[in-house]
Amino acid sequence: MILDQLKNQFAIVGVGYTPQGKIPNRTAVSFHIQAVKAALEDAGINKSEIDALYVYRHFDPISGDYDTTAFTVAEQLGVRPSVIGQETYCTRGWLYNGIGLLASGLARYVVISYGDNARSGRRSFVKELAGGKATDDLAAFGDLSTMAKYSMQARHAMDTYGTGPDVWKEIAIAERQWACLNPIAGMYGKPLDDEGYFSASMVAEPLRLLDATPNSDGGRAIVLTTVERAKSLGHPYAVIRGFGSANQPVLPLKICVDDPNAAAKVASAKAFSMAGITHADVDACELYDCFTYTVEATLRDYGFFRPEECRDFLRREHIGPGGSLPVNTSGGMLSEAYFMGMTPISEAVMQLTGRCGDRQLGKLPGTKTPSIIVCSDNGAVFQSHICLVLERGE
Amino acid sequence: MDFFEPRINADNAPFWEGCKAHELRFQRCKRCGKVRWPAAYLCPECLSEDTEWVTLPNRGTLYSYVVMQKPFHPSLAEKVPYVIAEVDLAEGVRITTNMFDCDVSALKCGGEVAIDFLDSETYSRPIAIWKGASE
Repeated sequence: MILDQLKNQFAIVGVGYTPQGKIPNRTAVSFHIQAVKAALEDAGINKSEIDALYVYRHFDPISGDYDTTAFTVAEQLGVRPSVIGQETYCTRGWLYNGIGLLASGLARYVVISYGDNARSGRRSFVKELAGGKATDDLAAFGDLSTMAKYSMQARHAMDTYGTGPDVWKEIAIAERQWACLNPIAGMYGKPLDDEGYFSASMVAEPLRLLDATPNSDGGRAIVLTTVERAKSLGHPYAVIRGFGSANQPVLPLKICVDDPNAAAKVASAKAFSMAGITHADVDACELYDCFTYTVEATLRDYGFFRPEECRDFLRREHIGPGGSLPVNTSGGMLSEAYFMGMTPISEAVMQLTGRCGDRQLGKLPGTKTPSIIVCSDNGAVFQSHICLVLERGE
Repeated sequence: MDFFEPRINADNAPFWEGCKAHELRFQRCKRCGKVRWPAAYLCPECLSEDTEWVTLPNRGTLYSYVVMQKPFHPSLAEKVPYVIAEVDLAEGVRITTNMFDCDVSALKCGGEVAIDFLDSETYSRPIAIWKGASE
């Protein structure tokens, strides 16, 4: 089977960080290139070896920025890759694209980068209006946000499986606990308790402000290559033991909570099968968490718990520091920084390579050194999904 | 309860014409029978171009709903709170609409709704009336 042959063949050999949080007077592209430079240094490779560059996302330029395209990033890095691409409109194609290029020998190193000045530039993610005019049907019904669409699924899950704010509170609080161990996290030094969660205002009920990831300034980048090259670089890396990508490319309107073809279900089934693991083998999860409910939906669709077991499974004692299944150990997008799939995946690599300081699994009391970490990248409203099973590589 | 004008195009125009007549009209593929929404030039099931527009009953079940408490545009500041709903009609068609004049605390996913229409100057659009929870 083709998928089995791709097991343990590829690796993440570098991660690049930039200043992050509220960093004014920076262009979006400046964060892309700073993150890539840092990732190259971390990997120990020269920029001339980048054969493919994928940048997240295509955003409308704000704060006087020029349009930030893949061409812009490549030009400012002074690189000439064979393939450049941009993850526009929340598609998540970078993994299969990158793996395909590496597997065929068409690329030596593949770089994925994220950069934005969303916080200081005050980016709005309302796509349903352009210049005050509707871009599709939805504005006619006052449906103007991604948050409303996630909330729609969250409500259905509430009425069907008994989840709700008191479950999502546990996710928000657990991730905040992790963030309080991470000096570069946006919410470092800002613990959250039950009262704090419930006092946050409802935005798109049943989701509150604290159920939603805030904007960040900054960037993050990773370097992918083959395991053979990874070994030659002579430093720790993360092996991609299994991976899977899937889409449910219907309108958010047609997304169903119990869809057997949910992108997360299909992608994780491929990844777990390729990796040859069960849920019991997973030491930690680093999951795309645009909303608290996204974490619940992902763990549920990955099969970690049956839908009606959400209340027992999603407790801070279980997924927070000291718990038996750490989730989003950097604080996640909710409490660390919003760099889409790069947030969870870079944290997984940092954990596996032992560089997480006070939040390091295995050093933090009550935790064990991780061998296998499952990561997710999720696009749009459960419409595009990547699942990675990463393992410590020597 | 008027928001922004819908975006009407060559694919979806007959749906919005149907709304003016207080009817829910969608495309049915004449080859395989699948009824589709959103409107599309080809059948997403079998890719046939052979299409007819059919009218579905003005009722459905509530897949889910959201109570917007914060405005995502300045013009919505006076309209919050309002309820966005996703309603499952017959033939596997689901539409976005708004609950109209409802007691939010009574709403439950899976309950029955009736579809009515709100007329504006240039267009009409569906609204959903709560009819009660299912057993």
